[in-house]
Amino acid sequence: MRRDSELLALCDRFFDAIEQKDFATVETCYAPEAVVWHSHDCLYQSRESNLQTLRDGMNRLKKMRYRNRRIHTFEGGFVQQHTLFVTHPNDFVGQMDVCFVAYTRDGMISRAYEYFDTGQIERFLGPPQASRSEA
Amino acid sequence: MTDGEIRELCNRFFDAYQDRRVDELAEIYAPDCIVWHNVFGRETSGAENLAALPKSYAGQRRRTYDDRTIHTFAGGFVIQYTLHGVQHDGHRGALWICIVGLCRNGRITRIDEYMDSSKFAAWAGRKR
Repeated sequence: MRRDSELLALCDRFFDAIEQKDFATVETCYAPEAVVWHSHDCLYQSRESNLQTLRDGMNRLKKMRYRNRRIHTFEGGFVQQHTLFVTHPNDFVGQMDVCFVAYTRDGMISRAYEYFDTGQIERFLGPPQASRSEA
Repeated sequence: MTDGEIRELCNRFFDAYQDRRVDELAEIYAPDCIVWHNVFGRETSGAENLAALPKSYAGQRRRTYDDRTIHTFAGGFVIQYTLHGVQHDGHRGALWICIVGLCRNGRITRIDEYMDSSKFAAWAGRKR
């Protein structure tokens, strides 16, 4: 998978599907061996566990939007920088700046790295009492 | 710039940063260079970034920019790396960082840096 257009299409398909709560399409974007690493725990999350996290978010949050997407493709993958806006059940709108680096195989994401700042977690989740008890 | 030139620029930048060669960093930053940090959420100029370096460097005995994974794209690079630091009291800490850099004519024009500030206490050896 080397063509920039294919990598760009995969990137857009993945994030658009999350926004649209199209879980079936999200699933098809991940290769069977996919793992997702996060900068807050430096651990690789399995495909199943990450998909469950995404499914929970889709079910619980009113809205998820990936804004200000800046995408660059490279040999075997892409990097997307974005600001994720989420609307919580209590209508608090949280936001987080994220850098998502993906490695791809045969039109699917086989490994991904997500960098974000959990030091600003209240900006994303809202004040502790207000949002988390209702989330 | 070719892929090779971008990769070389990226490594030159991190080698200079690691070895505290501020003069070389000033040559690497384009005059209009912008540096953005996710933990501060704001842009600074390359000059402001360089001016802050002596104080930043004073915090550690040594820093090394390790495990560099670099990918180039048209006009820039993305690098994932581990920043290892040794504090003056001997404490060793690490931060896991990703930078997206844009380049033009052999110089860096923009840096977007992503890291997790909740790791700063462990990095510095402080209690949270």
